[in-house]
Amino acid sequence: MNTLEIRDLRLSFRLPVGTVEVLHGISLRIARGERVALVGESGSGKSVTARIILGLLQEQRGVRLAGDIVFQGRNLLRLPPRERRAVRGTRISMIFQDPTSSLNPVFRIAPQFREVLARATPDLSEKAARARAAELLDEVAIPDAARVLDSYPFQLSGGMNQRIMIAMALANRPALLLADEPGTALDVTIQAQTLDLMRKLVVDHGTSVLFISHNLGVVREFADRTYVIYRGRIVEAGPTEAIFHDPRHAYTRALMAAQPRITGGGLPDIPERSDDFLAPLIEHEAAP
Amino acid sequence: MTPILSLRHLCKTFRTAGHEVQALVDVSLDVAGGECLAIVGESGSGKSTLASLVLGLYPPTTGEILLEGRVLPATRTLVHRRAIQLVQQNPASALNPRRSIGASLRLALDVHGIGAPAERRSRVAALLADVGLSADLASRAPSALSGGQRQRVAIARALACGSRLVVLDEPTSALDVLVQAEVLRLLARLQAEHGLTYLFITHDLAVVRNIATRVAVFQRGRLVELAATEALFTDPRHPYTRRLMAAVPVITEEEKAMRDRLAWEDA
Repeated sequence: MNTLEIRDLRLSFRLPVGTVEVLHGISLRIARGERVALVGESGSGKSVTARIILGLLQEQRGVRLAGDIVFQGRNLLRLPPRERRAVRGTRISMIFQDPTSSLNPVFRIAPQFREVLARATPDLSEKAARARAAELLDEVAIPDAARVLDSYPFQLSGGMNQRIMIAMALANRPALLLADEPGTALDVTIQAQTLDLMRKLVVDHGTSVLFISHNLGVVREFADRTYVIYRGRIVEAGPTEAIFHDPRHAYTRALMAAQPRITGGGLPDIPERSDDFLAPLIEHEAAP
Repeated sequence: MTPILSLRHLCKTFRTAGHEVQALVDVSLDVAGGECLAIVGESGSGKSTLASLVLGLYPPTTGEILLEGRVLPATRTLVHRRAIQLVQQNPASALNPRRSIGASLRLALDVHGIGAPAERRSRVAALLADVGLSADLASRAPSALSGGQRQRVAIARALACGSRLVVLDEPTSALDVLVQAEVLRLLARLQAEHGLTYLFITHDLAVVRNIATRVAVFQRGRLVELAATEALFTDPRHPYTRRLMAAVPVITEEEKAMRDRLAWEDA
């Protein structure tokens, strides 16, 4: 069974100047334990998709949504707000791009961690929460848990904060993890370590991941399957290897062509922006 | 030939209450006129400190900076400021949001007294044309432009006073990949047309390989490797350089093979 299935999701904002269509009917699915990437440029609708799954957008005014988001057999778009909120931070969690600004700067790590754990276990004592947090920090290769728990986020490095965010996001053993450009704000060597660590943890726990990124290289390293999104439409979908080996949609080809190669070959050609970018979805066969 | 820029035993130490941070430690290098020297390293490597010293935003603790063979003073005059220009990473914050595009470009001309005041309007139009933008944009606010267009304006402003040395601080890192390709092409064309020298600060090695003449790799304030681009990428010597290359996320089999070879040799 799929952990998440999005069918024909449409989103528009009603503004004083008129209605703006943001998502034009996107569909995607994530099987249990699968790592799926949604890759596209800024403004393509990739981050907004994560916010809808998490239920953050529904509470805004002027938002019109249609379609289905079925998570573990229940349609998140039809759930009453209370039940929808209960899913957030327990069975679905999220990692944001900039770890340092996602943590509250005026609290030490320990109380922030306890708040996360309390989402699933409201009566957890301070002592038990601290012990559990230390275990979870150990999982993300932070050995000196006591010192870290007593620190403020700004006293720790970006890489350390990103690990803490990963530990927090996985603390309640969610079925689905939404990762929005994780590690983009970090140095490449730290980014590589962070992705390795995240991959290991989600494999160990069988967590499904929706990985949102504009970075083709990172997507290739991390995801089993990839969806390419352009202006609110999925234009190409398939196993990551197939898409990188044989990109078929004009937009995907343009993205690949525009990426400078570390093996050289000169500056990339400037891909022509054409109407072909809006051509219909191309789906690759799943690997046998 | 005299290098356009020389750094001699440059050190910068920041002192805060209680401790010292050595941001740059004894850095010496020459930048030849017309080349694109990439400055590569991770956060804390000192690459931004280096840019600030070259621009004269603060003086070095010890050591000196020479522009075309002459030592630059700690406090720069207008002439020095005109000679070295900057393009920043984030074009959204580099341009004054309250000033029209035309006014931002004209300010550079007014400050440095370039051209007769009556001609400056047409100079602004010429600058916009040079970076591939329509003269109509002069009356717009930065917020009305896309990220790529804003970065083109920032580049035009750096070119406004005809300086030969431009410090590019992560000029394409905040841009989408299709826009990045356009801006990189633009930078290469302008360099050739105007005989510009670039000090190209970045962490993106894939960009470096395709635009730089030479590469200087920094780690914790020290220059650890300096080589011609082809030599550096075919035979990286310093372990840190190799580690940086091995961490780059790549998209083709060929790139993966190169990375795997580095990792294999180091194992």
